[in-house]
Amino acid sequence: MQIQLREVIPDYIEKEKRIASQIWGQNISIKKGEHLHIVAPSGSGKTSLMHFIYGLRKDHSGSIFYDDTDIKNISIEKFSAFRQNKISIIFQDLRLFEDQTVKENIDIKRILEPYHKPEKIIEMTARLGIENKLNQLAKTCSYGEQQRIAIIRALMQPFDFLLLDEPYSHLDEANRKKAMELIYEECEKRNAAMVFADLKPLDFFKDEKVVYL
Amino acid sequence: MPLSYKSIAPLIVSGKNIFSKWLGYFGLGIGVLLLFVSMQMFVNIGQLLKENNPRKSGGYDFISISKTITNENMGKDNSFTNADLAKLKEQSTIAGVAPLISNKFRVRGTAGDIIPFSTDLFLESIDNNFIDTVPPTFTWEPGQTVVPVIFSSDFLEMYNVFAPAQGLPQLSAKTISSVNIILECSGPYGSQNFKGNIVALSDRINSLLVPQSFMNWSNLRFMKDTAVHASRVYIKTKDANDPKLISYLDQENYHLNKDKVKFSRVKSILQNIVSALGVFGILVIVLALMLFSFYLQLMIAKSKDNLRLLLTLGYSPKWLAKSVAKTWLPVYLTIIIVALIFTEILHLLFRQLSFVRAADLSYFPHWSVWITAIFLFALTIFITLNLVRKELVKII
Repeated sequence: MQIQLREVIPDYIEKEKRIASQIWGQNISIKKGEHLHIVAPSGSGKTSLMHFIYGLRKDHSGSIFYDDTDIKNISIEKFSAFRQNKISIIFQDLRLFEDQTVKENIDIKRILEPYHKPEKIIEMTARLGIENKLNQLAKTCSYGEQQRIAIIRALMQPFDFLLLDEPYSHLDEANRKKAMELIYEECEKRNAAMVFADLKPLDFFKDEKVVYL
Repeated sequence: MPLSYKSIAPLIVSGKNIFSKWLGYFGLGIGVLLLFVSMQMFVNIGQLLKENNPRKSGGYDFISISKTITNENMGKDNSFTNADLAKLKEQSTIAGVAPLISNKFRVRGTAGDIIPFSTDLFLESIDNNFIDTVPPTFTWEPGQTVVPVIFSSDFLEMYNVFAPAQGLPQLSAKTISSVNIILECSGPYGSQNFKGNIVALSDRINSLLVPQSFMNWSNLRFMKDTAVHASRVYIKTKDANDPKLISYLDQENYHLNKDKVKFSRVKSILQNIVSALGVFGILVIVLALMLFSFYLQLMIAKSKDNLRLLLTLGYSPKWLAKSVAKTWLPVYLTIIIVALIFTEILHLLFRQLSFVRAADLSYFPHWSVWITAIFLFALTIFITLNLVRKELVKII
């Protein structure tokens, strides 16, 4: 599978920002196995881009293609199927079920299209240092902990594309490194593409292509 | 944990308004019960009164009419003319007309030595097709001294009431056929005795019926009379309660024995009442389903954020709608089964009523009730599924 952006421009964006952008109004294609690091300051549309690709918002001109299909023509049901086994996301605003436990929050994604066994939840939470929070309600976890829950949840399914929207904003350096390693490993296992949006280039991406939004 | 509604159930806020939920269940239950019971009773009433009505045969009512006797026409000839009969036949509501021809000569009946009984009699004849019980022996040819007679069961009943007071033996329907009646026929042109043999009892026609051939022969023989004098006419109609028929008969000043169509009237009134009850039941079901719909909408509105996140994570709207709708399945099924059980109980109680001949009614509810039950179940599931799916698509 590959994702193509064809002259995508958000409806709300100013002309100057659009001209300076390496993404808005451009033709970009992302293939399986590739890593795309998008760097941009706050308010420049990183989250909008992620939501456009994930099919949550349509307030843009141009087109986004999953292989040869314009996502505007994909039915709600078909989108569900893509989100179950082709494309996964870590939202900037995390989007957890606050009244569910950490384990339930992760498992609700896993059972949809199990890529990992339930034991993997324990293993991953242990790697990211939140294994003792498994039975705690999500709303009682710190923002940093919640960020790690969202990361593990996104890794529970099969995917060809992983969208990461500022996934480490509340993590310290050590936890950021652990999380990044885990994400890399999981993407490699699936030979999946990674679209990573953040405020500044990260050290982990030093060998990779960076585009400025 | 495998994928099931159980895993997402905690995310769906079922709403705190338990009262409206139970009111919905109760309303639906009452509505379904009303509908089932009224359908069953409609069938029961139709079954009982159809079986009970001897005037009805092959889908036709047979009723007798006569000209209304008033102070003005008293003493005049109030028999039906050929023109009257032709006019009656023209009516679309009347399928057939048959005059009751009576004897012009004198008939005296005695029952011989067994029953010391002697009385003036009247005989009548009518088209065989209008008689409910016509045995093959009900024929007469000139020269025959035995005349077959069809006797009214009402007369037998009346006889049995006054017989003991008169010192006469009571007779059963079977023994009456063994009673020999001597018919002494006399007129200005001669007299002759015949042996009357009761060959059948009629529930439909209150008279002493003899074959038409005998009536024509004897009226000619004793009175030299060939004219048709019918003071009573039987009409064959699809529905004796047809307002068009009734108003025509009223307009022509024909008298219709209201008692004769009492069964049909009672039946139509009762069936109208149960039909109204059924319509009320449907109304209650509609209201209850609306209440359920509001409850479902409220539930989805309250769980909107969670449902939206589930859809965002990749849960299919179809699966979610199906899973949510499925939780209502046992509720609907229970309501319908309980209503069916109550319908069966009421039906069995109805069978126990004194005026009901239980043998005429089946043990279980009528098939139409079962079909309605299945239809209602499918309808409620369909409505719920569609409503949930529509609401889910709205929140995406």
